[in-house]
Formats: sequence, C-alpha cells, structure tokens
Amino acid sequence: MSKIEISHGCAFGEKPLIPQICNIIGIVEETSDVKTFRIQTPEGKKPFECRPGQLGMLSAMFTGESMFCVADQGDDYIEFTVKRVGMVTEELHSLSVGAQVGVRGPYGNWFPTESCKGRNMVFVAGGIGLAPVRAFLSYTLKHREDYGTITLVYSASNKDDLVFKKELFEVWPNEPDTHVNVSVYHACDGWEGEVCYTAPFLEKLGISTENAAAVLCGGPSLYRTCSEGLRKLGFADEDIITTLEMRMKCGVGKCGRCNIGGKFICLDGPVFTLAELAGLPSDV
Amino acid sequence: MILKKENVQNLLDELSKSALVFVPKEVDGVLKFAPFKSADEMTLDIINTTLPPKDLLFPQTQKMYRYGIDADGKMYVDPSDDSAEQVVFGIRTCDMQSIVCMDDVFLTKGFVDEFYQAKRDKLLTVAIGCNKVAETCFCDSMGLDPQNSPTADIQLLEGDDAYSVVAQTEKGEKALESWKPFLSEGSVEVPKIECALKVDMTGVKDKLDRMFDHPIWEELSAKCLACGTCTYVCPTCHCFDISQENKMKDGVRFRCWDSCMFSEYTQMAGDHNPRPTKKERLRNRFMHKLCFFEDRYGKTLCVGCGRCVEKCPVSVDITCLIDQIGEFDV
Repeated sequence: MSKIEISHGCAFGEKPLIPQICNIIGIVEETSDVKTFRIQTPEGKKPFECRPGQLGMLSAMFTGESMFCVADQGDDYIEFTVKRVGMVTEELHSLSVGAQVGVRGPYGNWFPTESCKGRNMVFVAGGIGLAPVRAFLSYTLKHREDYGTITLVYSASNKDDLVFKKELFEVWPNEPDTHVNVSVYHACDGWEGEVCYTAPFLEKLGISTENAAAVLCGGPSLYRTCSEGLRKLGFADEDIITTLEMRMKCGVGKCGRCNIGGKFICLDGPVFTLAELAGLPSDV
Repeated sequence: MILKKENVQNLLDELSKSALVFVPKEVDGVLKFAPFKSADEMTLDIINTTLPPKDLLFPQTQKMYRYGIDADGKMYVDPSDDSAEQVVFGIRTCDMQSIVCMDDVFLTKGFVDEFYQAKRDKLLTVAIGCNKVAETCFCDSMGLDPQNSPTADIQLLEGDDAYSVVAQTEKGEKALESWKPFLSEGSVEVPKIECALKVDMTGVKDKLDRMFDHPIWEELSAKCLACGTCTYVCPTCHCFDISQENKMKDGVRFRCWDSCMFSEYTQMAGDHNPRPTKKERLRNRFMHKLCFFEDRYGKTLCVGCGRCVEKCPVSVDITCLIDQIGEFDV
C-alpha cells in the first residue's frame, strides 16, 4: 500500500481576483436550505478545469463573493452546493435558472486521486460536508476500476437535511461494490433507517481498515468525533484525508485570514491528511 | 555622485513631470508619504513617518473592477487599473524591507496579484539612510542596516549639505539619467549610527514553534483593546477584505485593509469562529510576524520600524514579547 501523497501549494493562475460572468443552467433543491447550482459560461463551456476537491469563488455580483468546493463537474459545467447561511448564500438562493453569477478559480489543492488508487475508499461526511466529499466520490465512481470497495457513511440532523438524496438512495447504492450508509440524528415519521450520531455509526458499521483510505468532511464537532472514531477503528492519521474550511476573501493566499500556521487553506489546502495537520498549529 | 540639498527642489520638480512623487510630509497633522509640492513642506529629516508608505502599492481602499448590467441585460465586469508612475523619495530601510515582504506575498506562490504588480512595476524607490534613530527603532536587531537599503533602486546617504547618490538596480541606473543635471562630483560624511532599542532574535522562531499553547498569549491579550492600530500602522501588515458598493444597475468591487485583530476577520457564516477571542487573534498576529511568515517566505515579517510599539494605546510591545520569549525555557 503506497503512502497517500497530497500536493500542496500547487494552484496557480493569472489575474486571480477578477471573476468571469457565468450562467446558472440548473438548480437542484437539495433541502429547505441547500441548493446545488450548475454553472456554465455564456458560450456553453465549463468555467474552468479543476480536480476533485478544488475550490471556486462564487459571486452574487451585487452582494459579494463566497468560496465553495466544486461539488461535481461535467464536460461543460461545474456544480456548487450552497447552504443558505449568510448574505451571499441568501442572495444565491434567490436566483433562478438563467441568472448570471461571477465565478473565479480553481483554487487550492485536490484530493489524492492518484495515490489512493487501488485502495478501498471510506467516505465519511455530515450535513453539507457531503458536498466536497461528493467531488471525490463521484471521481472514484467515474474511474471505478481504479478503486476497491467504496463505502459512504453519511449523516444529517434529520431526514430533511440529507443532501444529494437522489444519489444517496437511487444512484450510488446501485454502483458496483458500493455501500451507502445513512443515519440521522433525530428520528421522525417516514425515516426507517439508522438514528445515530456519525461517530458511533462508524463504530457500529465496523468498517475494515484493510488497504483503506478514509475521507472525512463535516462541521467542527463531527470532524473531532469522527477523526477519533476512525482512529478507534484502526485508521492511521496518514490514511485519513480531510478538507478544511475557513473564511476566505482572495482565495490565493494573500488576504491573510485562512492560515493555519504558515499554510493557507485556500492555497496549500484545503485537502490535508490528519498526519499533516498534527504538525501544524491549528486554530481551526 | 552627490545631490546638494539646495538641488532637491529642482530634482523633485523635474521628477514630478513624469511621475507622482511621494515624500514624507505632514498632512492634516499626520506624518506620511504624500505627493510632493515644495521642498519647504517636506520633512526629510524626520526619523520615521507615522503611517508607512505601503498604501502606494497597496492602497487602503482599492477599486478592483466595476460590474453591472448593460442595456441588453448582460452582466459585465470591467477591471480597473489606477496604476501610474510613482516615485517614493525618502523611504527608510525598515519600510523598504516591508516592500520586500509584500513582494513575497503579492507576487509569489502561484498567483501574481495583478493590482499590486501594476503598481509595483511603476514604482521607483529612493531610500535615504537614517542619521538619527527614534527610541522605538530596532531595525538593526531585525537584521537590517538603518543606512543601507540594498533593495532600493537608488540609495541616498545624508551629509551636512548634500546626499551621496548610488543606483542599486537597473531601474535606478536608468532613472539616474534624468537626475544628472542636479548631481555633482563629491562625497559626504555620514555619521555611524545604531538603534538604541535592541532585541535578540536568536532562537525566537524555534521557541515560538513550541509556544502555540503557551500561557503568554492569554496574559498578553488581556490588555489588548483589539483596536487594530498596530495593523494599520504596520508597514508589513497586508491583510485585506473584499467588499462592494452598488449604485442602481452597477457597482464597484474593492478591497480594503483589514485587521486580524478584529473578531469578524475570521467569523464564518454559520457563526463558527476559529479565532474566537483576543488570545487567538493576538497569538496569530505575533506568530505570523515572527514565525509563520518565516516558515513560508524565509524571513521575519517585522522590520523593526517601532510604529506599533509607539502607537499601541496599551503598550502591547513586540520588543518586550521578544525579550520574554528569549527568557523562556521552552
């Protein structure tokens, strides 16, 4: 099993701060406060080429910019999954298909798609944290023969907060050797699946660490409990990959705010192994 | 070559024909680098300006582009470029070194900041060596020489009635062509000086690497008012925010100085704040200056200008901190 190698400080580009105007060509309402926007240039092209895990700055031009992970991509589009939590996301949520937005990127590094080849992949996510994980999961499914068993462990507060429901319940479970495990924190009518926090759910599932790499993304408490949970299962920090988030303005390592020690999440990250993070002084 | 002091007015008049010339002077009671009008207003003999000259390259507020909706309903983005030929005359070693630091930030590591580069390419730097030091100056402890700015395009040293003139870069040599009518043969006597305030940087970075969880950050931040003064007067602080102003169907997106001492700086939508109290913010500021920047760019982000030492209303003093770190056994 070869070591997981993550590239850092590998993003580059010209005129990084100026957005290009693109169109929203599709909107999926994932939950009451999460929407996925499919974005394309006015010429019908992909706004930029990017690798799974990279970031893009999405702009409601009259309101402001916010950084999002590219949740998925096709030959001629990219997708951002946006939770409505602040001014920019509120404005984005008010837009319809055909609306014009600003896009700049790609920024940051990417998931180690190469060095994970041949491994069994364990994806762990909570809530909106499935968006960046989806980029990698989607990649492994497109390159199915390069990866072993694919396991997804996903939770949300309640049934209605689960994002990508179509993929979760209709698409991914039907992919070869792919196991989708979903839990919610709070039981409700119409939910017959697991009711369990993510970390105990992980333990209950007894996921094998053999030849496996784990990919983890969620809020601060999920990050803390599930990184511990994965360690308990026997995962080494070198084999747990995560993607971080902090407030960002420039996206290119200059405006200063998203640093952990001497590294900038927007430029050197967002993707790190837990072993790499252990060596950094972290406010995250 | 030397530039007689009586010729400075004529030289700067000549330079003003093709560039905006910035000199140290008092404007509304504040010493800063401002456009040259007459030699009488200049304060070339002051030790240091209250505000650093960083705004010549990195304005406090800088328009990046206009956006809007045209008559056909199509959205547009129209980048701005307000860069013009500029000369900074009388910059000191500390502030010159801060430009070296800002060059690292804005021009390296994968992305070149187009707005900074446009201004940087058009800036001629003329340094004057210091013959006097303030009691808060400590640049020589930070590895600098108050009388020599090796990265300045042109270096002047001040004698009694003239400055010695040396071009140090290709740009400086080219610029000196137009200086010729004002120069003459000669030499000047320059007094040897050193800073009175001393700090010992030996081992400070290594110790800081082990001090992230040290109680000093809690103690030091207790008196901090989080006013941000240190960051605004600092010549190397370069953090910025991006915001916009709208008018009917168009608007301007601009960037402006921000401060890591403010809680909103890292406050995320959804209310999580990775640096929730003054302790984390102050720690990040000092660690950035003395530790993180070196990890990233191989140099310290403090140039020893002493502005924050002088202006902090509650005497949070980076030189005292460096002394304290030196004494810690960590």
